[in-house]
Amino acid sequence: MTHDTFRILAEDGTVDEEAREGLDLKDEDLRQLYRYLAITRAIDLECTALQRQGELAVYPPAIGQEAAQVGSGYALGDEDFVFPSYREVGVAVTRGIDIVDYMHFHRGTWHGGIPDPVGKRFSMISVPVGSQPLHATGWAMGAVLDGTQACAIGYFGDGASSQGDVHEAMNFAGVFRAPVIFFCQNNGWAISVPVEKQTAGKIYRRAEGYGFPGVRVDGNDVLAVYKVTREAAERARTDRVPTLIEAMTYRMGPHSTADDRSRYQPEEQIAEWGGRDPIERYRRFLVAQDVVDDAFLEEAQNEAKARAAEVRKGIAGAPPRPVEDLFKWIYTGDELPQHLARQRDEALAFAQEDDDA
Amino acid sequence: MERTFNLPDLGEGLEDAEVVEWKVAEGDAVELNQPLVDVNTAKALVEIPSPYEGTIVKLHGAGGDVIEVGSPLVTFEVADDAPVDESILAGAAARDGDESAPKREAVLVGYGVEQGSKGRRRTLRPPGTRPAPVPQRPADPGKVQASPVVRRLAKEHGVDLATIAGSGPGGRIRRGDLEQALSGREPAPTAAPAISPGTEERVPVRGIRRLIAQKMAKAWAEVPHVTTFRTIDATWVDALRRELTEESGVKVSPLPVVVRALVEVVQRHPKLNASFDTEAGEIVLKGSCHVGIATDTDQGLLVPVIRDADRKGIATIARETAEIATAAREGRGTPEQLTGSTITITNVGTFGSEYGTPIINVPEVAILALGAIRERPWVVDGELQPRRVATLSLSFDHRIIDGAEAGRAMTDLATILESPFHLGALPRR
Amino acid sequence: MPEVTMGQALTQALRFSLEHDDRVLILGEDIGKLGGVFRITDGLQTEFGERRVFDTPLAEAGIAGVSLGLTMAGWKPVMEMQFDAFSYPALDQVISHAAKWRYRSAGTLNVPIVIRIPEGGGIGAAEHHSESPETYYAHTSGLKVVVPSTPIDAFGLLVRSIQDPDPVVFLEPKSRYWSKETGDLEPNGLPIGAARIMREGDHASLIAWGAMVSRCLDVAEAAAEDGVSVEVIDLRTLVPPDLETLATSVRKTGRAVVVHEAPMILGFGAEVVARLMEDAFEYLEAPVLRVTGWDTPYPPATLEEHYLPSVDRILAALGKVLEY
Repeated sequence: MTHDTFRILAEDGTVDEEAREGLDLKDEDLRQLYRYLAITRAIDLECTALQRQGELAVYPPAIGQEAAQVGSGYALGDEDFVFPSYREVGVAVTRGIDIVDYMHFHRGTWHGGIPDPVGKRFSMISVPVGSQPLHATGWAMGAVLDGTQACAIGYFGDGASSQGDVHEAMNFAGVFRAPVIFFCQNNGWAISVPVEKQTAGKIYRRAEGYGFPGVRVDGNDVLAVYKVTREAAERARTDRVPTLIEAMTYRMGPHSTADDRSRYQPEEQIAEWGGRDPIERYRRFLVAQDVVDDAFLEEAQNEAKARAAEVRKGIAGAPPRPVEDLFKWIYTGDELPQHLARQRDEALAFAQEDDDA
Repeated sequence: MERTFNLPDLGEGLEDAEVVEWKVAEGDAVELNQPLVDVNTAKALVEIPSPYEGTIVKLHGAGGDVIEVGSPLVTFEVADDAPVDESILAGAAARDGDESAPKREAVLVGYGVEQGSKGRRRTLRPPGTRPAPVPQRPADPGKVQASPVVRRLAKEHGVDLATIAGSGPGGRIRRGDLEQALSGREPAPTAAPAISPGTEERVPVRGIRRLIAQKMAKAWAEVPHVTTFRTIDATWVDALRRELTEESGVKVSPLPVVVRALVEVVQRHPKLNASFDTEAGEIVLKGSCHVGIATDTDQGLLVPVIRDADRKGIATIARETAEIATAAREGRGTPEQLTGSTITITNVGTFGSEYGTPIINVPEVAILALGAIRERPWVVDGELQPRRVATLSLSFDHRIIDGAEAGRAMTDLATILESPFHLGALPRR
Repeated sequence: MPEVTMGQALTQALRFSLEHDDRVLILGEDIGKLGGVFRITDGLQTEFGERRVFDTPLAEAGIAGVSLGLTMAGWKPVMEMQFDAFSYPALDQVISHAAKWRYRSAGTLNVPIVIRIPEGGGIGAAEHHSESPETYYAHTSGLKVVVPSTPIDAFGLLVRSIQDPDPVVFLEPKSRYWSKETGDLEPNGLPIGAARIMREGDHASLIAWGAMVSRCLDVAEAAAEDGVSVEVIDLRTLVPPDLETLATSVRKTGRAVVVHEAPMILGFGAEVVARLMEDAFEYLEAPVLRVTGWDTPYPPATLEEHYLPSVDRILAALGKVLEY
């Protein structure tokens, strides 16, 4: 951890009081943060297990990054809009997204993962790397046009930061003074490429080039992440100044359940970061500060398990959608153009044969 | 109840995994997600968590065993309300022990590639084998429906397509319709030659024409054909067929009479109703007599078969021949109706021929051609009389049938056909 | 009756849309103060303000990407890609996102964007300014691809494209920007997805879109002098294609030639030919031929006329099909 990285909680849970100055969280908030962290961890582990049991096609674990996601998600207002990549399950949990719907994406039931993105202020899972910060910028520009007091947050990783679209998104945001937070989770790896091979500079420093502030934060310190994101959100909404937040964290799991990370991720590194569990750190803090007792911790764990079981229940054995859904949402309107209507009829006829057979 | 958990694809692009270490034993009670086993996918060590809460009934493999993706890994005894898996995942389908479910080969970003093709449900019909339905007039006389090849042929032959009835869907003119129309026409005296002098034209041989070509070549190449001829007085044959037409209400031509007589002859000369197994070096004498009746259609040569003709009367043979031919033209002909003859007869008389050297319908060994019945001068009781005369041509496989035998068979056939007594003894119905 | 160029008709369509729907935005490079390099957005920023008509940084992927974000905030962006080839950097945002959002969201989102792209050659331009990229878009399910051929139709088609709740790639044949037509601009003309018979005929059907439509009309004039009656069809929309009109025409004439500037391999003409084979096979007197740009990169300006389908090349193709 370098001097330029903002942090409130040390590894052992002790507090840097100066850094904590201005943190607007009540005890109830502190406990809620813990609940979200526990739920995220439980769901994440459950989904990895589900994949190993053949119920999900492939799953990108967020384990190790819970603080970065929950802390930032919690700092947003009700009107704010999230633009995730494909690993932001912690943000989804914190923002009240139905995780069963979300996991149907990974099951291959349908694309998207988020029914009603506009209503939920949560955009669909974005697979083309680095493409979604532009959507965040665009939404934020649209909010300004309407005078809406809200900001957008676009999540991306250290790998994505190399994509041209990310540069364009930040540049547009700077020029148009769009109320958007660019939240980069630097988890050290882009599949097998370590961040040292991804970029020679420090990601948060790029903000200067675009004309707005950049900050580096300890991504495994949920309070620090919260504080920095909260400030960025206010800065965006009030001053229409974007912020680039680089949250330093670590990808404790493989890139996805299909990845063989033993080929490139050093064991010692994994072990070292394993000793820096963000949830563990936060628990120590909560216990030391007497914000929680054993009963609460147990209750939180039970709730987390129950949430994970809910996901399992909604996912395991779920059937595929009907074949006609293939043709339902290509264009708006109920009537398909002729070239599609023919294909739909043909596809359904073959599907019927399969059923009859 | 019991549930078997099959090894799922672990997303590592592999087909199987080696059991490294079981974390449970048979009889153990296990919790959901409890580690069951470490498997080596040859790329990485993967821990597989239990998909069920229950008791281990069976571990399908010991340490060191290689298990294929989709094969049983662990059988559990679970509570009756354990979730029923209706998913499409290969793991799931295979989970219920369904060996026929398509297995998937895992890839980096998803369930993986399905191995092996699905079973087929449909069969194809080679072009040109679909028999034509009854010709109809085109729906819109202003616009003639015809395929490009038909148009070209019509143009070459100077035919106005509007004058032809099409047997295709909606009155579409098929090639066969055109050819039929052409064969019935007198050559136009002032018609321009189809092919410019000094040039050539190439016509592709496809579909049933091609099949026939291949079959004929094979028959010709493999079977030493000899044909023997017998000209007969067919007056009584003619008389009988008229009688039977009136009697039975079925249109009876001379052909069914000759067919039935041939069947009699074949009983006495079983080698005519046989095939030659060259590999085994054996003559295969057939117990049944299925007579093929070579018929020319616009789809090409079809051979409707009268099965067990020895048990059928002339009128029945006449009726069945007409029925099968119609069915064949309407595309309803079954393989049973169109294949499986043991001896064939061809009525070359319908296109005016008197005799010929028909090619044997291999793997049969004999084929009889019935020539046109014409009024000819004949000697009856020492006097010249006009009689209805026809020539029979019998081609036979000289590897197994001699000229003498063939001659004798022909004599027997002639004897029946020229004798009102023997003709009268043939089953009529 | 007033005379209007295609460029002016397009400007009018944008003006009409900005007036009638206050969620419409216009964005792109140099479209504000300059009014666009082809002046299509001339005067609009002055009239409607920078809030609704604004210049962007030089970043096509950015233009497309922010437009998508804008739709999520309830806006209807009409973006301009300055030239055909410059639309390529935005392809990922268009193909991976714009085309798929409605599908992916199971119908809860729709993407009411219009991507205006001046396309095609015939203007003696430098490299990368004369492409016909319609195939890339037509091949992407979820997009609509519209190509006007005349000024008055351009007005109607652009108005409808902007009203369309689905993403529309609007290809403007730049060589026709200055072509003129006399008549009233009608917002409720022939809709997207309908082809138009520009000239009736009996002996053969000429099928084209964009700049090649007027060339085909010239060809039909020439053919008429020889006593050959040619029907000319303006396809107007590549996706969804008007299969009905195409089939009806070719069932009538029995002969067809498709003309497009884009290269032959997988040009949209291939799609038209395949459809006619299926829908009009038994009425065909001859194979359906295509007259297209060659399968080479677009040539330098001085050789352009040897690349684009000429009147004579089209007449030659007609001649061939008439011989059958």
